[in-house]
Amino acid sequence: MKRTLISLCKTPNNRFFVQTLIALFYMLNIQSLSAQDIDSNLLKIKRRMDSIEEFSAQIRLDLDVSFINMPAKNAEMHYIKGKPVDFSSDDFVLIPKRGLDFTLNEIFKYSFFTVNRGMEEKNSILCKVINVIPTDKKADFAIATLIMDTVKNRIIETEITTKKDGSYTLLMQYEKPISVLPYMVEVNFEMERIKIPLNYMAKDVEIDKKKLSSEDLKTGKIFLQISDYKIRFMEDN
Amino acid sequence: MKALLAAEVYKLSRQGKTYYALAAIFLIEVIVLFSAYFQGSSIIDILLGNLKQSFYFEGTLLNGNLLIYLILNTLWFNLPLILMIIISGTLTSEYKDRTLQTIMLQPVSKWQFILSKYVVAIIFTVLVVFFMALTSFVLSYSIFGNGDLIVYIDTLNFFEPKEAFFRLLWAFASGTISMVFFSVTSLTLAVIFKEATKTWIIAAFFLILSNLLLKFDFGNAWVNRLFFAKLNDTWQYFFYFEINWNQILLNSALLVGYTIIFMGFGIYLFNKKDIG
Repeated sequence: MKRTLISLCKTPNNRFFVQTLIALFYMLNIQSLSAQDIDSNLLKIKRRMDSIEEFSAQIRLDLDVSFINMPAKNAEMHYIKGKPVDFSSDDFVLIPKRGLDFTLNEIFKYSFFTVNRGMEEKNSILCKVINVIPTDKKADFAIATLIMDTVKNRIIETEITTKKDGSYTLLMQYEKPISVLPYMVEVNFEMERIKIPLNYMAKDVEIDKKKLSSEDLKTGKIFLQISDYKIRFMEDN
Repeated sequence: MKALLAAEVYKLSRQGKTYYALAAIFLIEVIVLFSAYFQGSSIIDILLGNLKQSFYFEGTLLNGNLLIYLILNTLWFNLPLILMIIISGTLTSEYKDRTLQTIMLQPVSKWQFILSKYVVAIIFTVLVVFFMALTSFVLSYSIFGNGDLIVYIDTLNFFEPKEAFFRLLWAFASGTISMVFFSVTSLTLAVIFKEATKTWIIAAFFLILSNLLLKFDFGNAWVNRLFFAKLNDTWQYFFYFEINWNQILLNSALLVGYTIIFMGFGIYLFNKKDIG
């Protein structure tokens, strides 16, 4: 097959024919994925999310990690479609690398297909559970489980298993039935325990080696309270 | 007693080494401040290294509060050394110059004379720590600005600027008790050894030993809690996320108790010993 294609590509006319054929094949392939392999409710949610061109919001971050004590912090969040989320703050803020992708850009960025996992009740709402599996190697997640409120067309919970950074879950709450973006998000993530050289210990501390090695990987939580959303939708242009 | 105190203050203010010592403390503080600034970024990198995987950082932690905290860590060794030299010198120089015999020829009681030395030593120590705190805050905030303080004690603790300022102030106050303890001890050592060089060597040895024993595990919980050497880092308790006021009060009361015992021992010895 490969050899035939290479021999066909030797003349300009044939090369154009082969290129058109490949393009047609991809188009049909994507069409069939969209029509058959992507959940229709997710497509509705994706369309809603895609309509967001830009948004800014005030965000309050409350970190819950057993070995970090940090008071709640405030920051301003600014999102422009296709760009990484930008933060600014007068304080020192730890911003989680994962879990702030409210528009699910990372999931929708590359081609994928979905697998229906049935229905599940979440906070007295009957929700649809699907798995999102990327078909593009460039995607940085291996699998995502999305729990969707199919009536209000939004995601309630996601569990994303990344290829490099472990897995994390997002629990989202919305202020109003029509809200597109959440006002409360709980991000659960895995992280390594801090390893500090002894000479940087401020006080003499007893070191329990067994405890330390058993606690190498810890789970952390970050609670995000988002307010003052200023959203610019595509129709506003 | 008032006249004795006034005379001691006058003697301390008239001797050149007092000002040399103050200049040395200020110089050390400036050196520590700038070395802490360069050391600070590597400390932050080490403290936050593991978090880089999970978090982005917005804002800076290399600020005045961190630098004052690093100054506190370093100066609690340098400062008592200088204080011990000056304070013990106030008595050893009297032995050396034989002015002590002249004073004792006056209608002055021995215990009142030595008590006035201890009182002036305590006042001088408090003033020096106040001077050090004031210059640390002014220099650090004016050059490196304000911001959150990061400290690692069992857990990684972050303090907001106001909270950090409050804790640093308390740390200076707590450190003052330690400094007074060392000053009083040096004067007691001067009573015992009389000669300046001997006293300085023993005082320096005492300070080094106290620092070594601070990290030493005696294998007994009571000794570990109550031994004087273990009380000299009480100022660090202000950097636990939850301040254990009871522990701090107990440690401070114990250290004040040790100071009174050392002072009482010094007064007793001075009274008992021959002047010559």
